[in-house]
Amino acid sequence: MESSTIPYLRAQGVTKDFGSVRVLDDVSMDINSGDVVSIIGPSGAGKSTFLRCINLLETPTEGVLEIGDFRITIGPGHKHATKKELSTLRRNVGMVFQSFNLFPHLSVLENICLAQRRVLGRDKDAARVRAFELLDRVGLSDKADAFPGRCSGGQQQRVAIARSLSLDPQVMLFDEPTSALDPEVGAEILAVMRELADDGMTMIIVTHEMAFAQEVGDRIYVMVDGRIVESGAPAQVMTNPTHERTKKFLGAVLGR
Amino acid sequence: MFLYILQGLVWTVIITVGGFTFGAVVGVGVAAARVATSRIVRIIARVWVDVIRGVPPLVWLFVVFFGLAEVGLRLTAFQAAILTFSLIASAYLGEIYRGGLAALGKGQVEAAHSLGLGRFDILARIVSPQVLRTVSPSMVTYGIGLMKDSALASTIGVVEMTFRANQVTQNTGQGLTAFAIVGAIYLAMSIPLGVWARRVDNRMREKYVVA
Repeated sequence: MESSTIPYLRAQGVTKDFGSVRVLDDVSMDINSGDVVSIIGPSGAGKSTFLRCINLLETPTEGVLEIGDFRITIGPGHKHATKKELSTLRRNVGMVFQSFNLFPHLSVLENICLAQRRVLGRDKDAARVRAFELLDRVGLSDKADAFPGRCSGGQQQRVAIARSLSLDPQVMLFDEPTSALDPEVGAEILAVMRELADDGMTMIIVTHEMAFAQEVGDRIYVMVDGRIVESGAPAQVMTNPTHERTKKFLGAVLGR
Repeated sequence: MFLYILQGLVWTVIITVGGFTFGAVVGVGVAAARVATSRIVRIIARVWVDVIRGVPPLVWLFVVFFGLAEVGLRLTAFQAAILTFSLIASAYLGEIYRGGLAALGKGQVEAAHSLGLGRFDILARIVSPQVLRTVSPSMVTYGIGLMKDSALASTIGVVEMTFRANQVTQNTGQGLTAFAIVGAIYLAMSIPLGVWARRVDNRMREKYVVA
């Protein structure tokens, strides 16, 4: 076991205020390459906001982000991220949303090719080849020419995952990817995610799927009121929580 | 008589298409200003829209034609008509665009950002096509309204269809026939436009919207 590995993704002291409300309070996280971590906790705890701070969809009020070679310090006295920095960051960090957010006016194939061509500068054929590989991987090769409106929710989410993967990101963020889906359909998505995890993708997952977090995750973070109150190996957090708030939360979701 | 009146159609079409085209372009600026980050820009845009919409088009036409002449800017009746309808259209179309922007899910732009797409690509490939699709029926409806309003240009002496029908009436007293012809020509343009708009809208719906 190597104990001196530098974490691939490091968030330090991430704080976010919305007006006078502090939604994230000094959140830090170190994630090694290939790790799968889950963030759980009650609604409104700031889990999604934290995730969105990682790819700067939301600008933290303060904090340091390190992702691979990319490093940025945000806060009073620091410059905003430049266009180039944002582009580099987002190319390396894929994101999957609760509500899929496919582009409805583009076909499935176009959804997956657009960023490849415009952001990575791949030519049309290369983008197509990669798109079909990914569609194949999520089991939707036959839907390439369909429009999102003609796909089921589960299919749309699988396309959304393929779309994110098309930029060959180093990290994937999942913001409650199954919350808008029936449990049965959600299971399809979880299966795709499990495969990704098995392939060594670094993943941060905000989720209410406790069984999944326990089974697939390397680590669980429990977030309450904008703070991480507890973290550890899934089995330990789930079966033997130390923090009062974690016990209460787990009691509520697991019904015990 | 019919042919005489029909000759005015050219001007009706030019004023409508001209006003609509300029208005559609300037309207983009109006919509952008309405959602600008700067408060002052937003207020200016808002005043622009409210003032233009709050005064009857006929009054605007007179302000531009007679009013500007008084301060030394002498426009021909045709120029005044084009200018007036362009300004009016910019306010209405700007508001229509803004409505379309508001209807666009916030998630669309976020998803585009998360994929690293730049501002220009987001605007050109994600926002504009979707907004245009949402607003195209309203735009056609407004265009039909503009075509009917273009009849007002007759009051400042643009020799379009309504003007000609008026002439015919004064000379022959056959106002019923003359204006029935004008009405029929307007209908012959507005109905197909409306049908076309509905058809396009339905086709888009079928293609894109969740079944």
